[in-house]
Amino acid sequence: MEKDQVFMGEAVQAGWNSCSFGMEMETDELNCVGSCFLNPKWHNSMDQSDPFESALSSMVCSPAASNAGSTNFPASGDNTMMTDLIGKLGNICNTGDISPQSLIKPPNNNNNCSSNTSCYTSPLDSPPKLNLSMMGGNQILKHPSLVPVSVDPGFAERAARFSCFNGLNAQLGVTEAEFVQLTRVSTNQSVMVTGSQVHVPDSNKNTLQDGNSCSDKRNSRLSRCSSPENGDSKDESSISEQIPGVGSSIKAQNDANARKRKSMPRGKAKETPSPAAADAKIAEENDESTAKRSKQQNDSAKAENKENPKPPEPPKDYIHVRARRGQATDSHSLAERVRREKISERMKFLQDLVPGCNKVTGKALMLDEIINYVQSLQRQVEFLSMKLATVNPRMNANTEALLSKDMFRSRGSLPHSHYPMDSSALAFGLRYQPQQGLPMNNGISNDTQIQFSMNPANAALHKTQGLQLPPVDGISDANPQIGSFWGDDLQSIVQMGFGQNQPQSCQSPP
Amino acid sequence: MDSQHLNPSSLKSRFTARFLRALIKINAQKPISSSSPREIFQRYRRIKVAADKSMAYSVRSRRTWSRATLWKLRSRSRRRLASSGRRSSIKTRTTTTTTTTTTSTNHRAAIVEKTSHEKENKEDHVGLAVQAEELRELVPGGESMDLCNLLDETAHYIKCLTTQVQVMKKIANLYSLE
Repeated sequence: MEKDQVFMGEAVQAGWNSCSFGMEMETDELNCVGSCFLNPKWHNSMDQSDPFESALSSMVCSPAASNAGSTNFPASGDNTMMTDLIGKLGNICNTGDISPQSLIKPPNNNNNCSSNTSCYTSPLDSPPKLNLSMMGGNQILKHPSLVPVSVDPGFAERAARFSCFNGLNAQLGVTEAEFVQLTRVSTNQSVMVTGSQVHVPDSNKNTLQDGNSCSDKRNSRLSRCSSPENGDSKDESSISEQIPGVGSSIKAQNDANARKRKSMPRGKAKETPSPAAADAKIAEENDESTAKRSKQQNDSAKAENKENPKPPEPPKDYIHVRARRGQATDSHSLAERVRREKISERMKFLQDLVPGCNKVTGKALMLDEIINYVQSLQRQVEFLSMKLATVNPRMNANTEALLSKDMFRSRGSLPHSHYPMDSSALAFGLRYQPQQGLPMNNGISNDTQIQFSMNPANAALHKTQGLQLPPVDGISDANPQIGSFWGDDLQSIVQMGFGQNQPQSCQSPP
Repeated sequence: MDSQHLNPSSLKSRFTARFLRALIKINAQKPISSSSPREIFQRYRRIKVAADKSMAYSVRSRRTWSRATLWKLRSRSRRRLASSGRRSSIKTRTTTTTTTTTTSTNHRAAIVEKTSHEKENKEDHVGLAVQAEELRELVPGGESMDLCNLLDETAHYIKCLTTQVQVMKKIANLYSLE
């Protein structure tokens, strides 16, 4: 805690930027980030921090710091930063409610600041933040100088970054959920006040999804707990959309959270569909912000992370899917979501396979492209087989050599020693045999390679794979001349002779 | 180029071996030089069947589409045998084949019904039913699969088709080199 105090002092003096960096230094203390915003009294809240929070804060600190450090903080910037922090903290740790206003007025909102900063710095520090967030939220509400917080596009990125903390969130208790609620409340307020900085929501949602998909199991417990609470909190948040009602809604949410904590959700928690906000836009923003936060909280599970006490149920073997904030929570929709994500994952893989699909966006167009590609491939096969049917496979020496080489290549690192022999035998075998008709007969048993010279392809095939000679039915008919020419021994050996070639090559007897 | 197929048991080499064998067999059956267009067409059909069969055999039964292709080819050959007039051997075979065919058809029909129902439920909201149907027609054995598995099969099928095309192109080049 001393560290917190030290940092706090520095933060207060140095401003938000420095605070954030200072926060990074703090690993154990949630205060890291919080101290930036924190009032001198912030450390009081930190006393309650537990190891999770500190771990979370340390994790949060770095990204937060990076974000925070990057921006300067004019008054408006502070608000933005606050919003970011709030959003991040909301997701990561419900510990405190970060209210931009509290940050703006540190002296007034000791608790708020601490909660806000703490959340931002250490997502894990959510549990202790519970109380802080509660208080902070209330204070925020009371602040007459509510500054509209504009969601900045960077929020989504940060949210996504924090989504990795969802696993940590699992360890967090209710505080996170509460914090989320509170943050949502504040976000609602900001949304309402500012109007709409909704460009972030979409990206946030996307990033959140990615983050959520990271680790399904990490937040299983937390998500399970949070989903029922989230549902309730959603209702409450919709209520809280009105600024005056935020305070009451916060309290209501807290109560609901407490209630929910008692009732552990089952494995697949479903969220009740978020009640439609009076203003669709606001509702969307709220959903997105909450989704963002929930995503940050929910590691991979798609579930709203409202402050939930640690889920008592142990993680099961199958993947737990949590309903996301603002989305339906029945099992069907959850399963649907899983399925849809699987499909989009496979579509991406197909996009790599099919050339020229990078520019196509949308599943329908992609499928059209895939269909066209499959059709073109099938037509190509047909065309090539027609070509092979018309091309006269004159198996002269070169062709045989090439074919054997091709097969040799196909077989890769099969015994190379044979192939040169085969190809050479093939190359001159056919021409050679006629001249050595008699020697061939005698030497057939000795020289197995020459035997196969009649069937370069077969020879290569046999040599390489040790396969049995293919059935002779189609060949014996084709090679009666050859058989008679070389005797019965050869006839039995010749398996798949090239009928047209062999008579030709055999025409020149010695 | 020689180091291309370094894996002797890769899909490419397996397919190449089988297809070449089949090709040689087909070429040995009839000299090409004296082929009429009709014979050429027959030859083309045989080569095409050989290509598909070789690819399906190279994949074995690991994939639904390969299993469907093999099943189709086998049933077709059985039907051809049945109609070829070899009564004695066919009678016994047809009964077995018909039973197997009917069972398999019934089974497949049941699967199709069930999966189509599921598909409707699942794909309505996705809005890709039309393309999914087209894809099912293209990919052998795709009638009884939901979109998720269908995409998997499509990916593997595309990979195998590209291999097939590559090998056949090479062989055609070799043949036409003279």
